[in-house]
Amino acid sequence: MFRFVGWEIVKMLHLRSVRLGLAAAFVLPIIWTLAPGLKQVYGLVLVSGWQVPALSLLAGMEFLYPFLIAMAAAEVLGSEISMGTLKPLLLRPLSRTRFISAKLIAALAYPFMVLGVSLLASILAGLPHGLGGFFGGTGLGEGGFAGLGFLSAGAAFAEVLRAYVFAALTLLPIAALSLMFAVGFSSTTAAALGAIATVLLMRLLIAFPGLKPLLLTTYLDLYLHPADWAMGLSLLFIYTVGFGLLAVLLFERKDV
Amino acid sequence: MSGTGEAAAHLVVENVSKRYGRKPVLEGVSFSLAPGEVYALAGPNGSGKTTLIRMVTGLAFPTSGRVLMLGENIHEGGYAVRRHLGAVVEAPAAFYPYLTGRANLERLAWLSGLAGAAERIRDVLFALELVAVADQPVAGYSLGQRQRLGLAAAILARPKVLVLDEPTSGLDPDGIQKVHEILREQAAGGVSVLLSTHHLREVSAYTDRVGILGGGRLIDEVVMEGASERHRLRVSEPERALAVLQTLPFVEAAERKGEVLVVRGPVDAVVKALVDDGHRVYEVTADYFDLYEYYRERIKHV
Repeated sequence: MFRFVGWEIVKMLHLRSVRLGLAAAFVLPIIWTLAPGLKQVYGLVLVSGWQVPALSLLAGMEFLYPFLIAMAAAEVLGSEISMGTLKPLLLRPLSRTRFISAKLIAALAYPFMVLGVSLLASILAGLPHGLGGFFGGTGLGEGGFAGLGFLSAGAAFAEVLRAYVFAALTLLPIAALSLMFAVGFSSTTAAALGAIATVLLMRLLIAFPGLKPLLLTTYLDLYLHPADWAMGLSLLFIYTVGFGLLAVLLFERKDV
Repeated sequence: MSGTGEAAAHLVVENVSKRYGRKPVLEGVSFSLAPGEVYALAGPNGSGKTTLIRMVTGLAFPTSGRVLMLGENIHEGGYAVRRHLGAVVEAPAAFYPYLTGRANLERLAWLSGLAGAAERIRDVLFALELVAVADQPVAGYSLGQRQRLGLAAAILARPKVLVLDEPTSGLDPDGIQKVHEILREQAAGGVSVLLSTHHLREVSAYTDRVGILGGGRLIDEVVMEGASERHRLRVSEPERALAVLQTLPFVEAAERKGEVLVVRGPVDAVVKALVDDGHRVYEVTADYFDLYEYYRERIKHV
């Protein structure tokens, strides 16, 4: 299975949407550090390179990263359908469950890749501002960008890393949802749009306070509120497993 | 009509039907393939050939009926049943364009659990005359090269059942000849071959049976061996001669076409019987069965 997942990840890295997403994740932090309107938008004057990762997350998690994840997860299956390579694979003595599970694992790895690249680019973009200890906050811990006093480089890195891991975890259900739609619709575009539409719809449902704690979108900014991690991660896990299982079950009896 | 006993059959299609919503695409299709038998599926566009091929290969699921491959249900028997299957279900065959032809085959061999893959890949590339382009990315292959690589992939794991949808589509005359040669070789080696085709004259030289699909039903099945043993006789008093022939036990079929009698059966015995009955036999010629003409006649009213 490891080799199979590895092959799926290699195939995924050949997809245009994946390469585009990784390029966007790399470029965004660099552009953001050069943006002249940072003070107006975020009320921020960069005092440390450790504040750049927060800027990238705040900008990317709003729409860009969920969209990139949805596109890539849909294309993981959709590209096989459009290239015609799905049928030859399923003609081999290969379990459909194993096949789609490997694709699911690859799709779930992608948020970590995007945010890993984003973090790397953020750190590189932050270098000119210094990556030592500083007075202020990373924007991802207590006190926001103002902070609570002096923050060592190690503590800043830990805050940033935790936030990026939480952010990647919050994107997992979107990846699983998009793959599930790809199984159902057999189309990259329809699946990605379906996943994004579902997320936007969930955002609108906050008008129903009773539903709010159960909505996937309630936890998309979990990286800013790590105190809610127990409830948030549990729910995100349930959503991810649920969408993933549905994808597997649908694919098992799917006419190809 | 089935030419094979189901116990020995490599492939059995039993009363398979498929509906999309309320629309029937296939209805009650049944046939079977013995080891080494070549079965061609013919029918106009939309007759259900491709749906049937997808059903037989396990890619699509029947609404009712079942498909047995070497005795195992291809839809319920688990993925391992497909270890006996080699197939090309689309023209041109699809591969990862950024990988070389050889690398594509290596991955398929790995998925099939093929032992001695490198040697086998070399053999099939040689057989399909693809050695020169084997290490080039598939993105640069011509249509014909892709199609031949598809057949190489299909025979790669030494299948017992070969299923091909329009195997000669997009090929030049040499390529078509090569594909037919390989299909004959495979059948001679005991592989059951099921293929769909519009090129009936091409395959009639080596196919054993032809199933004619129309409107989702198997409307006729032609046994080619019997068809090729027909003779045309020009005799005196043809009407009386036909009556005589119809009483002879060794005559499988006899009909009058104008002044000529078309007879299926041992020709020497037929001629002797007619002469003994006082007829003059002016001419005896082999009646080459024109499958294409027959097919056109059969689907005319579907």
